[in-house]
Amino acid sequence: MRQLRLFIALLLITSVVNAQTRQLTGSVTDSKSSGGIPSATISVMGKSIKTVTGTDGTFTLKVPLGNISLEITSVGHAPKTVLVAADKSEISIGLDPTSGDMSEVVVTALGIKRDKKALTYASQLVTGDDIRKASNSNFMEALSGKAAGVDIRVSNSGAGGSTKAVLRGNKSLLGLSEALYVIDGVPMVNNKGGQPGSYGGSDQGDGLSSVNPEDIESINILRGANGAILYGSQGANGVILITTKKGKSGKATVNLSSSTIFEKVSNLPEFQYDYGAQGSSVYNWSTTKGSYQKGYINDFFQTGINTTNAVSISGGSDKTTAYFSYSNTSAKGVMPTNTYGKNNFSFNQSTRLLNDKLTLSSSVMFANELSNNRPGAGYYNNPLTGLYLFARQLDFADYKKNYRVFDKDRNLYKMNWYSNEEKQNNPFWELNSDTKFAKTNRVIANVKASYDLTSHLKFEARANIDYSDKVFDNRFLAGGNSVSVSSNGAWAYSKYTDQAIYTDGILNYNNTFGNLSVSAIAGASYQKNTFNDGMNVSNGGAQYTLQYPNFFTFANMPYQVVFNQTINNSLKQGVFANLTLGYKDMLYLDLAGRNDWASTLALTGNQSYLYPSAGVSAIVSQMVKLPEAISFFKVRASLSQTANEVPFNVVNPMNSVSSAGDPTGNGSISYNTQVPFRTLKPEKIVSNEYGAEMRFFKGKFGVEFTYYNDLSTNQFLTLPAPSGSGYTSYYVNAGKITNKGFELTLNADVMKSSDFQWKTSFNFSQNKNKIVELIAANPNYQVGGDDEGFASIIKAGGSFNDVWIYKFARNATGQIILDGNGVPTKAAKQEKVGNVNPDFLLGWNNTASYKNFFLSVLVSGKFGGVAFSKTEAFLDSYGASKRSADARASSTMPIDAVQGTAKITSINPVVYYSAIGDRNKIMEPYIYSRTNVRLAQFVLGYNLKIGNANSTIKAASVSLIGRNLFFFFKKAPYDPEQAMSTSNSMQSNDVFGVPSTRSYGINFKVTF
Amino acid sequence: MKKIFIAILALSIFASCTKDFTKLNQDPNQISDESLTQDNNLVGSPFSGLLFNIFGHQIEEDLCYDSWMGYMNTPTDFVGNVNNTTYYMRWNVYWNRVYGSVMSPSKKVIELSAKYNLPMFATWAKLIRILAVSKLTAVHGPVIYSSYGSTDNSILYDKESDLYNKFFLQLDTIQTTFGANKDYKAFAKFDQSYKGDINQWMKLVNSIRLRLAMRISKVNPALAQTQGEKAMSDPAGLIATNADNFKVALLGNILPVAQICYQWNDTRMGGVLESFMAGYKDGRAAKMFEPAQSGADPLHPLFPFKGIRNGAFCGTTKPQMLQYSMVSNDFNSVQNRRGFTASEVSLLMAEAALRGWAGAGNAKTNYENGVKLSFADWGAAGVDGYLADNTSMPLNYVDPADSRNNFTSLSIATIAWNEVDSKELKLEKIITQKYLNTFTNTLEAWVDFRRTGYPRIPHVAKNDSSPDWGVITSDQWIKRMPFLNGERTGNTAAVTDAVSKMGTGAKDDIATRLWWDTGGPNF
Repeated sequence: MRQLRLFIALLLITSVVNAQTRQLTGSVTDSKSSGGIPSATISVMGKSIKTVTGTDGTFTLKVPLGNISLEITSVGHAPKTVLVAADKSEISIGLDPTSGDMSEVVVTALGIKRDKKALTYASQLVTGDDIRKASNSNFMEALSGKAAGVDIRVSNSGAGGSTKAVLRGNKSLLGLSEALYVIDGVPMVNNKGGQPGSYGGSDQGDGLSSVNPEDIESINILRGANGAILYGSQGANGVILITTKKGKSGKATVNLSSSTIFEKVSNLPEFQYDYGAQGSSVYNWSTTKGSYQKGYINDFFQTGINTTNAVSISGGSDKTTAYFSYSNTSAKGVMPTNTYGKNNFSFNQSTRLLNDKLTLSSSVMFANELSNNRPGAGYYNNPLTGLYLFARQLDFADYKKNYRVFDKDRNLYKMNWYSNEEKQNNPFWELNSDTKFAKTNRVIANVKASYDLTSHLKFEARANIDYSDKVFDNRFLAGGNSVSVSSNGAWAYSKYTDQAIYTDGILNYNNTFGNLSVSAIAGASYQKNTFNDGMNVSNGGAQYTLQYPNFFTFANMPYQVVFNQTINNSLKQGVFANLTLGYKDMLYLDLAGRNDWASTLALTGNQSYLYPSAGVSAIVSQMVKLPEAISFFKVRASLSQTANEVPFNVVNPMNSVSSAGDPTGNGSISYNTQVPFRTLKPEKIVSNEYGAEMRFFKGKFGVEFTYYNDLSTNQFLTLPAPSGSGYTSYYVNAGKITNKGFELTLNADVMKSSDFQWKTSFNFSQNKNKIVELIAANPNYQVGGDDEGFASIIKAGGSFNDVWIYKFARNATGQIILDGNGVPTKAAKQEKVGNVNPDFLLGWNNTASYKNFFLSVLVSGKFGGVAFSKTEAFLDSYGASKRSADARASSTMPIDAVQGTAKITSINPVVYYSAIGDRNKIMEPYIYSRTNVRLAQFVLGYNLKIGNANSTIKAASVSLIGRNLFFFFKKAPYDPEQAMSTSNSMQSNDVFGVPSTRSYGINFKVTF
Repeated sequence: MKKIFIAILALSIFASCTKDFTKLNQDPNQISDESLTQDNNLVGSPFSGLLFNIFGHQIEEDLCYDSWMGYMNTPTDFVGNVNNTTYYMRWNVYWNRVYGSVMSPSKKVIELSAKYNLPMFATWAKLIRILAVSKLTAVHGPVIYSSYGSTDNSILYDKESDLYNKFFLQLDTIQTTFGANKDYKAFAKFDQSYKGDINQWMKLVNSIRLRLAMRISKVNPALAQTQGEKAMSDPAGLIATNADNFKVALLGNILPVAQICYQWNDTRMGGVLESFMAGYKDGRAAKMFEPAQSGADPLHPLFPFKGIRNGAFCGTTKPQMLQYSMVSNDFNSVQNRRGFTASEVSLLMAEAALRGWAGAGNAKTNYENGVKLSFADWGAAGVDGYLADNTSMPLNYVDPADSRNNFTSLSIATIAWNEVDSKELKLEKIITQKYLNTFTNTLEAWVDFRRTGYPRIPHVAKNDSSPDWGVITSDQWIKRMPFLNGERTGNTAAVTDAVSKMGTGAKDDIATRLWWDTGGPNF
């Protein structure tokens, strides 16, 4: 630690000492709110001396002797020039806010800063403070509801889990359709690990959890491909641009923050504890009430605790700035034995050289994540199945205490449980004997040089490496469930690295010719990704038993096991150009184009592909005289075409060694039996968007509206080859998918006085997805099929994430058909019952402050869509649900049914519930509305008053935090946003996933 | 100027870099054809996989003919206890295995054999195709064979009578080629069945000819007799001893029925087999199964094995049914499975003798020899007493878990050969013993049952057949499996043509009889 401190100190030491200067200190404040303005730029006119204000608005600058002029600029404020007399060493400057005229600078693709009013496409900025407000350890979770048109799902697997964020709907059939994440202009790796399915598994996370929210200055969301074209095919699904905090010249500031968040499960299913099972049955279908243990399901879950401590130091001279941060997260989940730990280090610096013409900057971010027993979902090796379905008449406390028994013959412990079903285990055996370990180390490092060739022309070059190594190690002890674990235990191990190298060079030209402004960039980029470079090995659960029990090493693997080596390479090179012409600051034309060369299309002749975009924006409020109330009015339109590349190694795959063979070897070779596909094309997305931005009453009220219409074609699809063709599969470019929708953001400064301020914003959006066509020649072609009673099917005429299930068999008048024994029958075919994606997304975000108190309230709502619960289906068929007990108490329940020609109006609940639910019986009753409105975030805080400007402590605050507190409205008997998986096909499908949680906690912040 | 310069520089770098794209887009963990040419691996290495895929797994075998013939049955109520085992088709995938894992790779073997001038490998591949497709046609009837590999939009199915003719002609060519290359050694490295001994493969060629000839003995007696006699007179001989048995390596996989039983708990001994083996006090039972556990009383103390009825009512009774007999624990460690045994050949010859085919020898001798070979092969003792037993009959079955599964045995066969028995009764005994022997290669028993009506097994306890896939009336059993949905929608014209090739009134359902399934008396 001491060495580290010394290192930081050295970095912060001013590198240039000039005898011809004097020291000037000062502060920049907002003339309305009197608050300090952070990140304002102060430059000495005629010189290349510059600095930026710190978080409190103060700055220190070495300026030349004599009278000087300072120019002060800040986003959201009118620029100002002030004269500073030769004898003045302190200055206070007030800037007028300009939110009314939208002269806002935003970061766009490739990290290029642009005037927001010149943009011809939608973008929405969320500040880092807003992201951090509720102390979420995953920044994307924190973004939910705060920006329009972003549908975010966070895995219920707890801290370190994965996230799914889709902007403007799914566009790619086999791809993920998730947004591209970009840190300071460079694409970031976000590879999703394995996800649980119906049969089990656990969330292997993604690349987002390693980002430290503390390091985020702001996030800008480019929802459409239009804004993202400069990223090429990767940006086709929209881009989330993260700008990290940088050092500020002036006195070093130190920020400390500490938060502790407690988490409890909420919205557990409703269970019954009164009726047990008869004999050796595993079904709780006794009709005689007993006095049995209660409440052990609630007690099983623990209070999760997530503690994050972070420190950041920022400072520098007028030539060199630096930023350092360290953050530690330590969490235990609601599921016993689940823990997660994360360390983040971040360092960046920037130095100006050669009369400030050259800026060299570099940054390193390091993250280390360790997780133990991240909870999974599904039937196998899941503690929740045994917990929920437990035969009520038995002694749960005893099974808890004696979750294992000693097997004298084998001299080892084995699981103690009453049922030998494949899906049931002693929950405590699962927690303690089956361990899941995951580790990630990640470093993102980059260097950047920026050189002012002339006052109008700048050249920038960047190189970035994003490297992570990952280990997943799941061990299942001998003596567990015989269906999922072999007699000597099971082991699944994988270890691999993901590496992305990115470099680019960009020329940036800005000039003004009379009324015409020109802004142009031209550049080239090179990106080489080597993903999943490593190996995996597994004895297949129960398939092949380890040689010796409970010993997990390669040498102990049985001979049948194949050690798989994996790699996924891609190389993409691009050249791009962008020209923006502005006329009188009121009419803008934006043209962009990019050509990519992608290695995944090698041999197809289509590896080089070009796509363009064009857009216009007009500031109507500057063109014509509008009523006084309208302070700003802009309209914009843009049209773009982008392309999605295809996966690695599909054009011309070779043969593989498909099995380890018998004990003497001779594993067989599997020939590649795919039809060679040399005409593969990139997927194509044509996107139109039209928008308007208006502000009223001097900017107090703002509206931003965007309508978009995306058309995806040339979808990459795999098809089974005709049986007689000699091949087994082939690929086609086909399909037509449309996504249409709108996004609406309303902002209002409801109250703005010196004591009381209240800002509110609504984010409202709708996306309509339609699969117009898949394979024209085969209208019945579909992607996806039945997965244990639930099918997420993509076929022509439908849309992404349509849900198909088996309903009751009904006669023409809609009555349920009972069989000869009076048992409800199931329809022969699955039927579409809805789509999981909501019709509307709503976020209502409020921030208010009164004197030293501040308040943040976020309401988020999803309207429409369906959710499916296999958990509820099992609870019914096992007689474990409260529903089934209530029905039993009255011994009959109403039904509108027929048996033969006889009308039936009541049914024995045991008969009814035994016939539906379970793994894949009648699933109709388990489709619920996804509509829900919740209090997603509530933060109440207090800013400590710092009396003395010279005090060591510059600012301090304490806040109370609540997340996911309660529902204003919900129809499903559980939280329909609960996500067991962040994969495409398992959306809104719950199979014994971890229940959603409610969090509350406290956060402290101090600035020195 | 600078801009242009940089752009040109960038472009020139890219132009040179795209050359690496092809290599970069290849997976280094995949093996190229070129690398495989070493040691003839390119044509030889797929053979173990081709052979392995002659057989199926759970949804091809265990939930189909294992269950329909009463060898095994599932205690799991898959898809709400309405599935293939109860005559409602949920799974139909053997077709894809045969085309995807046998026909497609063997096509490449045949092409590469020509390219590298290794014609014996092509011959071998063609024999394996017959082994696989002769099983597939026994499931569906018409199948794609002579038009395989066509680039036509509609790939036609072979009419069954044409298909068998084609098989016999191809077997002629194969036998000739093998006969001219008896000392050929290059198979050894890839042949886990016969270690590259061509003489053994020639015995299999004759044996498969006899098996296929017997299949058509009722529908085309003349051709059947010609081919059968040819098989029995060929100097290369038949599979005559257990050492000649054709066994297929499992390539390190666990025998499917053991995996389904031990690891997935989805299958147990069949109640039908229990009825036969308990009645006959069959010594092979202990080699095939483990005794039932304490929760399942078999109700016949001297025979501690318990099975589940074919097409059983199950579901909530699963925990109890799991107590029934598992397959023998030894099945977990076997390295290969039975593809064609000397016992089957001997019992085929017993039937051939009944039918008066030349060279078949004496029916009694063949019958008894077949049973002896079977006992020896399964490692069971007491065959002499068994063959002398002229009183024991299969028992009625009682299911302690669900009485709806009870049945009364329909069989009238005892074990001991009796020359005064009618031909039908003799055949019933032969096929019943064939049935008991051919456990784990159960498709052949389903063929015999449809062809002869033997052994006399009960109907399914739960019959969910419906117009969706065809209705099996309560006095009947499943006749075939429908063509695949993928073929119905993607190769529609050919499927329509194939249905017409099954005869007038034929439907693509489970109630339509195959060509050789003529019904009626056997003689």
